[in-house]
Amino acid sequence: MIRKLINPFNYIAGAKSLLIGLAMIFITSLTGYYSNTFFPDILSVKTGVELTFKVSLLFNIVNWLSISLLLYIASLIFSKSSVRFIDLFGTQALARSPYLLAALLGFSKSINRLGEYFLWKYLSIGEPTDISSLEMTIAVVLLTLIVIISIWMITLMYNAFKVSSNIKGGKSVTIFIIVFILSIILSAFVNNLIFNTLHT
Amino acid sequence: MEKRLPVLCPSCDSQLRVSSLLCEHCNTTVTGFFKLPVLMRLDQKEQSFIIEFVKSSGSLKIMAEKLKLSYPTVRNMLDDLIDKIIKMDEK
Repeated sequence: MIRKLINPFNYIAGAKSLLIGLAMIFITSLTGYYSNTFFPDILSVKTGVELTFKVSLLFNIVNWLSISLLLYIASLIFSKSSVRFIDLFGTQALARSPYLLAALLGFSKSINRLGEYFLWKYLSIGEPTDISSLEMTIAVVLLTLIVIISIWMITLMYNAFKVSSNIKGGKSVTIFIIVFILSIILSAFVNNLIFNTLHT
Repeated sequence: MEKRLPVLCPSCDSQLRVSSLLCEHCNTTVTGFFKLPVLMRLDQKEQSFIIEFVKSSGSLKIMAEKLKLSYPTVRNMLDDLIDKIIKMDEK
């Protein structure tokens, strides 16, 4: 069961994973739109920001395409196997599914309240805010959950890459880390352009 | 009980060779030193994979359906097997 949760790609890939993955990206964007949670790059989760559904969806599509495209190029260069476009893009789409949970967690306002509280207390920014110990505990638990969800998503993305490209061992880890960092930069840049074009 | 043909030495894990062959019909025994063919040197699981692959007309898609695995997983299994056979041939 745990193996299937961290590496479902031994059982599902190709068109099936692409369809499910795209549906999950759509649902995540819709949920994020209503919970004011968005993903400005392939890893970051921001809460408490109101965006249009179009921007929310575009951000998620850019995040998926950024890492998929770079991993596909890396696979073509470094893999001895014949890598299929649909496997890599499909499994990467499905690997982003855990962020639906992150978007759902955004419905709780505790994280924002904690952020506002720290900003006011330590940086004197914003309105004077107080937070109860219960709310602070909830916020810490939710933040921990978001970290766990992020680790789960990265594990899925790595396993998706490994199965789709058949690159193993240290080589696959090194390629993935480099591409992951480049994808963060690329997706943040493109999403920033989208934000400035569509949201101002 | 189906007996498995041992391909590796149970004592030191080296590749086993054939030293005698028997005709069940007339009880003639041939002794000598024969190298096992490549396919026989693969383990049971790998041999089954190859047989299933041939039965599937060499279609990875059909293999994936039969094994209930994804296409790239089956392709990776085949690629690993090809790698192993190439290395065996080089030895």
